[in-house]
Amino acid sequence: MYDVVIIGGGLSGFMAALSLAEKKKKIALISKGDPICCLSTGCIDVLGYGEDPLHEIAKLPKDHPYRLIGQQGVQDSLEYFVRIMNEAGLEYTGDIHANTKILTPLGTAKTTCLVPKSMQDANPETGEYIHVVSFKGLKDFYPSYITSAYKNTGYSVFDAGVSTTLGLATRFEDKSFIEDLAATLKGWEIPDGRIAFPAVLSTSAPEKVISYLSEKLERKIFEIPTIPPSIPGMRLLKALRTALHKKGGNVYWGREIASVEKSGSLVEAVTLESGGRATRVEGKSFILATGSFLGGGLYAQRNSIYETVFNLPVVFPKNRAEWFHENFFDPGHPIEKAGVRVKASFTPYDADIENLFVTGTILASSDIVKQGCGHGLAIATGVAAGRSCEEWLK
Amino acid sequence: MIKTDVIIIGGGATGCGIARDLALRGIPHYLIEKGDFAAGATGACHGLLHSGSRYAVTDPEAAKECIEENFILRNIAEKCVEKTGGLFVRLPGDSKRFMDRFLKSCEDVGISTEVLSPSRALDLVPALNPMIEEAVKVPDCSIDPFRLCMLNAISSRHRGGGFLLHHEVIEIIQEKGRCIGVKAKDKFTSQIKELRGKIIINATGAWGNLVAGLGGASVPMSLSKGSLVITNHRLTNMVINRLRPPSDGDIIVPNEAVCLCGTTSITVMNPDDIKVEPLEIDTLTTEAEQMIPRFSTTRMIRAYCGVRPLLKSASEDTRAISRGFRIIDHKNGLFSILGGKLTTYRLMAEKMVDVIMDQFGKKAACLTAELPLDGQEELSGYPLSKRLKNLDDIVCECELVTKSDVKNVINRTGTKYIEDIQHRTRLGMGPCQGGFCTYRALGIMQEMGRVSPEDSMRILKTFLEKRFRGIRPALWGDQLKEEQLVEYIYMGILNMGSETGK
Repeated sequence: MYDVVIIGGGLSGFMAALSLAEKKKKIALISKGDPICCLSTGCIDVLGYGEDPLHEIAKLPKDHPYRLIGQQGVQDSLEYFVRIMNEAGLEYTGDIHANTKILTPLGTAKTTCLVPKSMQDANPETGEYIHVVSFKGLKDFYPSYITSAYKNTGYSVFDAGVSTTLGLATRFEDKSFIEDLAATLKGWEIPDGRIAFPAVLSTSAPEKVISYLSEKLERKIFEIPTIPPSIPGMRLLKALRTALHKKGGNVYWGREIASVEKSGSLVEAVTLESGGRATRVEGKSFILATGSFLGGGLYAQRNSIYETVFNLPVVFPKNRAEWFHENFFDPGHPIEKAGVRVKASFTPYDADIENLFVTGTILASSDIVKQGCGHGLAIATGVAAGRSCEEWLK
Repeated sequence: MIKTDVIIIGGGATGCGIARDLALRGIPHYLIEKGDFAAGATGACHGLLHSGSRYAVTDPEAAKECIEENFILRNIAEKCVEKTGGLFVRLPGDSKRFMDRFLKSCEDVGISTEVLSPSRALDLVPALNPMIEEAVKVPDCSIDPFRLCMLNAISSRHRGGGFLLHHEVIEIIQEKGRCIGVKAKDKFTSQIKELRGKIIINATGAWGNLVAGLGGASVPMSLSKGSLVITNHRLTNMVINRLRPPSDGDIIVPNEAVCLCGTTSITVMNPDDIKVEPLEIDTLTTEAEQMIPRFSTTRMIRAYCGVRPLLKSASEDTRAISRGFRIIDHKNGLFSILGGKLTTYRLMAEKMVDVIMDQFGKKAACLTAELPLDGQEELSGYPLSKRLKNLDDIVCECELVTKSDVKNVINRTGTKYIEDIQHRTRLGMGPCQGGFCTYRALGIMQEMGRVSPEDSMRILKTFLEKRFRGIRPALWGDQLKEEQLVEYIYMGILNMGSETGK
């Protein structure tokens, strides 16, 4: 019997698992596969507006999950995240009290807060010259989008013999490849300023590649996150798994929940299914971190939306015509706020279950696209749900 | 200035058919289209090559035209037609008397039918509702309207015909009361081109009255919007019709890897201001699942709508208005050709060109029913075997389109429009609807110097808006999941919409 069974291996599920494992709870984490944070830039968006994102929290609507935690709670969990990641070998930089900007492959500046160290010099709005080095045949990266958006920029293309992000990232594991690249770039006489690469500078240790290249080329070097498959997203998952492995927790990867067992107001066990093999996992308490539609926590039928594991009540606009605005770029499609409503304890409303805590993008009343709070929300609610669960176990 | 004999306005099936017919009778001509080929009702229909049975009871004349043209097109446009056959299914509660009338009417106009027992019908189409009472087999087919237009245009070009795509006619030049030419604006550069001709043909479908107006004329027509939805699977290998008087959502047509279901019928005023409402998709899905129960749980790719130009009559119900066609001589060198349907496009073109030949006092027999369309081998569809031959540099994973496919179209057509690449390669036509590959295709256009990066951003934004209008009405299930990913990518990772670079 586990103290806590966490369903969902995304950023939020891992943060809950880590915070509980640290408190010596016996935990199991179940994931049906690689999570959505794998597709992300790896950057931690807290709130995508205002100078100090934490300062904006108090102005959010009362039912926003951040409001259940409060500014200090959000700050503590972000600090906790940074510490854990650094221990796991993925260094984050940035000031929790200051939003920053990073360059995107479309030549836009994305607002975010904490960034992997490989993107610490990625702010395009400093006026300093940026030279983009791309790789021949890389189909998801076209530097001319960037050079047309920013005047003081240029680009060149290097032939690495491979052309996918993962292919390239593994090339960067090879010291002689990096030396060859540095020598070639040295010969190109790139103007003074920074050098940017698509985010493929090794699968897990870009800092080493960057420090070698910046020493050889005498330039600041940074990575530009790509659309999925995203190497910084994969690095984030890898670091989360490393961290949990260190703290001790049982991980069921690639397993889906086939059924749940309840008794009165308590969830007692879940049964996992994969390849015809059933495993029953018992727990004193459970955390639901299965994500929104993309993660599979919510599913939309033609005229209703349901929660996929426990069939918890979901709030959503009743009329399908109201799920989305007419225009793609109209901010805040109402369906983004659909999800499970929780009490301050992160237990669901109207469900009569006392040992189930809900966290992450499955929560109602937040819009991670419009509010720019994706990973920040996952971290803060993950830690908060973990804490609440710990209280309950007492 | 371009000088020719006949200027055709409109690159739908009718316009392209007229171009080919003129070419085969040796008359110089030029076609102008404001979008790509098949951009209006031609490209926004079921892609059904009617057997005519759908109209047998209500409009026997149209039904007769359909069955004759059906067999002609099977021959001349072999590579555009899937000889699927069709079923009319009678569900519990559907009138048996109507079925008897239906069989009698089909016989009267020469459409072969075969009544099938439920088991025989289920043998042919296992996805059918097992509760069906009866089914009638008819010679319906599925047809690719875009390819059909392209092949007609190719047949015209091989014989000296010209065409201008993405050029909108903004003026019909008149001199001494006669229409002697047109001014056309390049939609990308806004440059004006002038064409002179002896006869001008208005084959603009739903835009017919607007274009006739430029020539000082008007045409009586009513506009009926029809919405359709595309499924991600081929649920049936035969065309499925509901055996009842024509109504909403009563036809499902298989086409390549997908199925198209429609339509609705709603009177509209402006052909440029139409959209699909989620409620229409609910209607279509509810109707379609009665014939094929799996329909409602199948992933929808997108919805679309077109405007049928119907000849005006006293009746208010647009379905009761004749699907027949009419040629109007405006007596000033301008002719309008109106109404009709995709299945009878060739016949309409033949009648139109007969009139033109009379005007010129020339005689030449129409050959369009005998000669096959040119270029069918090179444009012979998108079979998987062909696409699997080259898997290097895949740009569109859904439809297996390679970078070289994209480059070839850009080089051949010189296009600056993402839609042109889509129509010619199937890029972005799969489940993600161009969510990934459009960004890449524009990147390739940039690399080739065909479009500036500044333009790319604008094109990408316009494309994403247009794409969204197509999928919004049918967003649930797996398609909604995919849509959330597209939102995360463009508005999250790439930060589009809220701000742009400096």
